[in-house]
Amino acid sequence: MRILRYIGRRSVFIGPQLFGIILVSFLLVKLIPGDPAVMMLGPFATEEQLAMLNAEMGLDGTIIEQFWIYLQNLVQGDLGTSWQTTKPVFDDLAVRFPATLELITLSLLLALGIGIPLGVAAAWFKRSIVKRFSDYYGLLAGALPDFWLGLILIYLFYTIMQVAPAPLGRIDFAVLPPPPLTNFLIVDSIAAGNWQALWSALGHLALPVVTLGVINAGPILKMTQATMERMLESDLIRYAEMCGLPKKTVIRKAFRNSLPSVVTIVSVLYGFLIGGAVLVEIVFSWGGAGQYAVQGVLNADINPVLGFVLFSAILSLIIYLAVDLIYFAIDPRIRG
Amino acid sequence: MGAGEAGADPRAVPVLDIAGLNVSYPVYEEEAVRAVRDLDLSVRAGEIVGLVGESGSGKTTLARAVMGLLTQPGRIDGGSIRFDGKDMRALSESALRAVRGRDIAMVIPNPRSELDPLVPVGRQIAAVARAHLDVGRREADAMALAMLKAVHIPDPARRFKAFPHELSGGMAQRVVMAISLVCAPKFVISDDATSGLDVTVQAQVLDLLRGLVREHRTAMLFITRDIGITAHFCDRVAVIYGGEIVEIAETVRFFENPQHPYSVMLLAAFAHNPALRRKWHKPLASAEPAHGTACRYAPRCVHREAECDAHSPRLRERGARHFVRCHFPVERVG
Repeated sequence: MRILRYIGRRSVFIGPQLFGIILVSFLLVKLIPGDPAVMMLGPFATEEQLAMLNAEMGLDGTIIEQFWIYLQNLVQGDLGTSWQTTKPVFDDLAVRFPATLELITLSLLLALGIGIPLGVAAAWFKRSIVKRFSDYYGLLAGALPDFWLGLILIYLFYTIMQVAPAPLGRIDFAVLPPPPLTNFLIVDSIAAGNWQALWSALGHLALPVVTLGVINAGPILKMTQATMERMLESDLIRYAEMCGLPKKTVIRKAFRNSLPSVVTIVSVLYGFLIGGAVLVEIVFSWGGAGQYAVQGVLNADINPVLGFVLFSAILSLIIYLAVDLIYFAIDPRIRG
Repeated sequence: MGAGEAGADPRAVPVLDIAGLNVSYPVYEEEAVRAVRDLDLSVRAGEIVGLVGESGSGKTTLARAVMGLLTQPGRIDGGSIRFDGKDMRALSESALRAVRGRDIAMVIPNPRSELDPLVPVGRQIAAVARAHLDVGRREADAMALAMLKAVHIPDPARRFKAFPHELSGGMAQRVVMAISLVCAPKFVISDDATSGLDVTVQAQVLDLLRGLVREHRTAMLFITRDIGITAHFCDRVAVIYGGEIVEIAETVRFFENPQHPYSVMLLAAFAHNPALRRKWHKPLASAEPAHGTACRYAPRCVHREAECDAHSPRLRERGARHFVRCHFPVERVG
């Protein structure tokens, strides 16, 4: 099978790719000015205390020595410890990554639900109100910052109407969270049969998902519309019209042939949002991965940053593989 | 010359009857481009009419106008298109959709870009049958398979599942023919359909197309840039220049006695006689047809006279079913 061979060839490169990513991000993070020992011990620490702590953390060697130590730990599944949370980075990320993934996955589903129908309609009804609406929508979604929209939504639905829960994390403090299994709250609540937790988690997801969904529907809408417009002018669709195929069939044909570019933009957005959702995470005190990494950068806490980069890199590789598999599924020319 | 064989009865009612057709493309803040001008053309059942002209002469615009599929912003300014007694211009979009592919089918030149790359070719044939005929999925598949056989595709059962990119150009062209003929249409428009094929494959495909059309007494408008093909393929030949038909006659008569300088130029270009070619071709002439009241062909005509710049000639009968649009029809070619 061609597809298996492809996956095999692809996975050979995963190791070197990851190594390269770790190396570059290690060097870049090291270049950020800031001494973690100073941050940890405060302004009144003595020189000896600082030197001792640095030695303890393995920060007294050369950069190459430090990298070597990091790699050795990494092979054993140890991503180091965050001095801020005092917990192993791996354990922290195991909670925070699912938090972010849950948020951005649902957001992108919403964005697809808005962007695709609107894009298709705008391409088909060329001189209609739908077309004008989607033009403005694309413009606005590109111009509005997502955190601003998040704040507006909080003001409307929490402060004024009081239908949304407080923007403080993923679940009510009063609700007993389900036992952690995957750390995706929706999945865990359903697995535990804890409907109260599920309801609370969904309630907390609503506003940030709408925020990110509405903003990210913009690029999906634009891509769908542009590709569909080009497709509807193509020889392919012109021929379908000459054959007198029903309108619905023609639109479906055009959309199926536009699908690859929609898949591409979604995969790009997905990879981007892992870190790019950070402002919205902060607004909703989400406790996601992006927020964790930014805290690390600001406080010279290097291990969370490196852990985040590594997790994101692995996830991006998974996404790109998934995208390739989707291309395989939808286009017989690649399958060939 | 296979012109007259099984040709149409001249007294039969035309399947397609175009009268005084004008098509134009508006241009921003300028005069609209008139792509088709006062065009009359009728095609009878079982008749193959060749329409010859260079790029930009209005051939494809004419075909699209007949299908009701002019590209934006093209529009029909006047005239009538009657198909099978119906006024095509009066039909609603959904009624047109029912006619396209069912009663009027189009054979197109670039099957590679016009067939759906994501759907097996057999399915594409079946989809057209299902859209127009009251048949179920299985029946449509059976019809598609029969069509693949009818267009002489080897191993049709296997090719049914093939995707367009897996077929050769000639094979894809046959699939397009199968799509156009699956509903047994009354009228087929072939728009430069074989221009992309090798000469040998082209001959095979054309023979096949003509055989199928003759078998069902289907009327056909055969649009081409290659005047040589029409000699073997068509019952009548029409030459179009600058959106006007400049000459139309039965094939034998046309080739024996072409009377419009443009027709003669086209024929001379095919003749392996440099002297003849030089005689009828005006070098460095503007390729643009004339505007205003002049004869459209005047700028390129080797016999241009004052009259040609003053008045555009009308299409006049110059013998049995032979019409020429020229003030000074050609008497002798050589």
